[in-house]
Amino acid sequence: MIEVSDLKIHYGDCVAVNQLSFSVQPGSIFGLIGPNGAGKTSAIKAIATLLEPTYGEILVQGVSVLHQPEKARGFLGYMPDFPPVYEGLKIWEFCDLFAEAYGLHGEQKKAQVLHALHATGLQEHMHALCHTLSRGMRQRALLAKTLVHQPSVLLLDEPAANLDPKSRIDLRNILKSLARDGKTILLSSHVLSEIEDTCDTLGFMQKGKMVLSGTLDKISQARQKQNFLKIRLTKPFPPLEKIISSIPLLSQFEDTGGNGTEVRACMDGGEKEASEVLTRLVEAGVPVSGFAIEKPRIEDLFLELESKPTRKGDQP
Amino acid sequence: MNPLIRRGIRERLRAKNLVAAGIFSLILTATFYLAAFFDGMQVVLPAESYPSSEPELFFNPVNGAREAFTPLLVLQGFFLMFLGTGRIASVTAEEKESGLLDYQRMTPMSPLAKIFGYLFGLPAREYWMFLVTLPFLLHCVIAGKLPIWNIFHLYAVFFCSVLLYHLTAHVIGLVVPRPRAASWVARLAVLGLYIFLPALGQAGISFLSFLTILPTYFGKILPHLLFEGTQMGRFESQVVQFWQEVPFFSISLSPTTFTFVMQGLILLALFLTGYRKWRLDSLPAFSRPMGLSLFATLQFLLLGSLWPFFSDGLASGLLGSVVQLDPTQVGLPNQLKSDAHPALAMVVVQSTFFLLSIGAILILINICCPNPHRRLKGIQRIKKLGLPAIPWLADEAPGGGFATLLALLAILPYALLHLLAVSSESIVSISSSPSSIIAPASFLLFCTLSLRAAREQWFNLGFWGFVGLLWLTPILACLVLAVNDFLGNSQLMLHLSSLSPLTFIPQLMVHHSPNLLDPANPLVDLSTSVRTGMVASIIGFLSLTLKHWKSSIK
Repeated sequence: MIEVSDLKIHYGDCVAVNQLSFSVQPGSIFGLIGPNGAGKTSAIKAIATLLEPTYGEILVQGVSVLHQPEKARGFLGYMPDFPPVYEGLKIWEFCDLFAEAYGLHGEQKKAQVLHALHATGLQEHMHALCHTLSRGMRQRALLAKTLVHQPSVLLLDEPAANLDPKSRIDLRNILKSLARDGKTILLSSHVLSEIEDTCDTLGFMQKGKMVLSGTLDKISQARQKQNFLKIRLTKPFPPLEKIISSIPLLSQFEDTGGNGTEVRACMDGGEKEASEVLTRLVEAGVPVSGFAIEKPRIEDLFLELESKPTRKGDQP
Repeated sequence: MNPLIRRGIRERLRAKNLVAAGIFSLILTATFYLAAFFDGMQVVLPAESYPSSEPELFFNPVNGAREAFTPLLVLQGFFLMFLGTGRIASVTAEEKESGLLDYQRMTPMSPLAKIFGYLFGLPAREYWMFLVTLPFLLHCVIAGKLPIWNIFHLYAVFFCSVLLYHLTAHVIGLVVPRPRAASWVARLAVLGLYIFLPALGQAGISFLSFLTILPTYFGKILPHLLFEGTQMGRFESQVVQFWQEVPFFSISLSPTTFTFVMQGLILLALFLTGYRKWRLDSLPAFSRPMGLSLFATLQFLLLGSLWPFFSDGLASGLLGSVVQLDPTQVGLPNQLKSDAHPALAMVVVQSTFFLLSIGAILILINICCPNPHRRLKGIQRIKKLGLPAIPWLADEAPGGGFATLLALLAILPYALLHLLAVSSESIVSISSSPSSIIAPASFLLFCTLSLRAAREQWFNLGFWGFVGLLWLTPILACLVLAVNDFLGNSQLMLHLSSLSPLTFIPQLMVHHSPNLLDPANPLVDLSTSVRTGMVASIIGFLSLTLKHWKSSIK
């Protein structure tokens, strides 16, 4: 578990992280999102014991990172945004080095190294020298190194930055499997679709502050009272627009399919109101074949936050 | 095995590296060793020994081995001290920049294990190349009939020096933020610490000579490297004599012991710095208590080294030669008294003492006093924690008390040595006037406090710019004036040079020396330039402190 409270980090006069508080539960994947310079990497580095904050408290598995960094490091696996590796080592030697540095020996070490290489799909390349690897492969080697001592808390800064689509899917599956095993995972990324697919909790950072945090649905509900309904018809139904405008909960009719069989409308309220709307449509004889509340898109939230100035206490 | 050492072996000693480096070392060593060996082995007997025949050539393997010992040692030093040090400095700095060092920092290995891993893992290939030279060393010792115990002494000091150079490079790689700068700073530091500073041993600061392998080499090995049946020349005798024993307070120590003590102290300081930087990169290299302890140790060593000179006028090296000069054989400038050399030696020693102290103070203030960012951090922290003030030994606390303590730690031994010399019957070239203690002491205090005020209100560029401008520009201006018209500009040059501590301290010492300048033949007026220097230091101190105080309030 990670608990960050009232964290402040200065670089000279510049405040990189300002009164940041959040927590990540075991078994959860927390995604930090924010524009460049929002303070994501600084926050992750402070949690990783690599940056001394101005003040604040960070607990990893209940151990204070500021007061007992050596103890906290045993729980942590950290993967930075650029993947440096020891160029002259083979992949298995790279993992072996860290397995031993984390106190693993003999058969246990060998098993752990093989397990990490297997989990990252590097078993076939284990005898390759690191300097021969592509960027994506380096990223995998680094992930293998991060996993080799089975840390209970994973800090991943832009883990999918150099990966091809297949490797991204693999990474997502690995992370989800690790979360199922009870690991606490904190990752930052610019790839919003990746965050959306991988993380169960999100934190939006802007100018060093956490402006929003929670599950995507909760954030969406808190941010916007309106939802979008996606309605699919078996055949075009011309009076639909009139019917929709007669329902007070609905507004902003939009023919998304272009032929009158797929429409989108804005709705005030949640699932209960959606049920009411569906009943009204069916009663009015609309040939509904599909009906769903459109899942909020992370891109929309991100752009909305980007366009708004940060306000103090702007929390959901 | 330490995983970092294993990493070094895997990375740098794969089969092809092993063979290539081994062959390279073998060829190089064999070439140098055998060339020196055969050269030394050939002995030409003079023709008069055999008047009936031509001069004859005899072969003596003992002489050959003795001749080959020094080139072999130089080559071993090249592998471990030159190549190894460069490797450690550059790799540490590169790994710091790339982030690889952070991976290691995050492992639960102790910082000490990490330091050892880097020290012995990174230069694995260089150690292998050294190993290849060992059969030659064995041959040299056996064939040259060299005393094993002395060889053991020498190689113990050799490895201690190697460790010292490697640790210096590693710590500099950890401390200096930019890798390119780190590799240069490491080279400069090794040159400065282990070549330039030891040269000050000739100026009476004998302990500085013991930072290198040279004292043990000259004291323990050189007498045994003479060819069979030959005697030491005058120069060799002097060199060997100089390194035989180290005067320290009223006792004498063996050069090996003293070298171990000196190198051990520096190793300890470097280990502590490395430990701090491995724990957390953002920590300054020294904590304040550590800085004070180091400075106190330096002052103790200075005191011990200079004690024999200030109590009995005894000195070795070049200083000893100056003291023992025969006045009739030396042509001193007209402005100096005819028997001025003991006084000149005293001025040199006092100036060296002050310049070394002020150099160490500058470095410690730069490291231990907070820059404006660190201070701001401290202020925000105490506000958050509700503390009334930053604890004075914390890295973020204002450094006024720390700087004053540093100045006092330097003034105290100086005053002690001065009083010792005044009370000694064998020293006549020292002034008993209180101003000869008070003036340099006040100057040192003002200078220290000015440096502290500058450090705490400016960042690196501002601070080093200020030091460079104040300490170097007056000297450069004097150089230009001297080239233009040395005699005509001499008074102006004195005034200008009194603005820089580097040139003002010797002026101050000359001014207070009773037996140096001939009052009947004054070329320049030192008293006005000394006044200028003192006033400038007071104005500098007041203006910087006031500015710092204003910025602190803000």
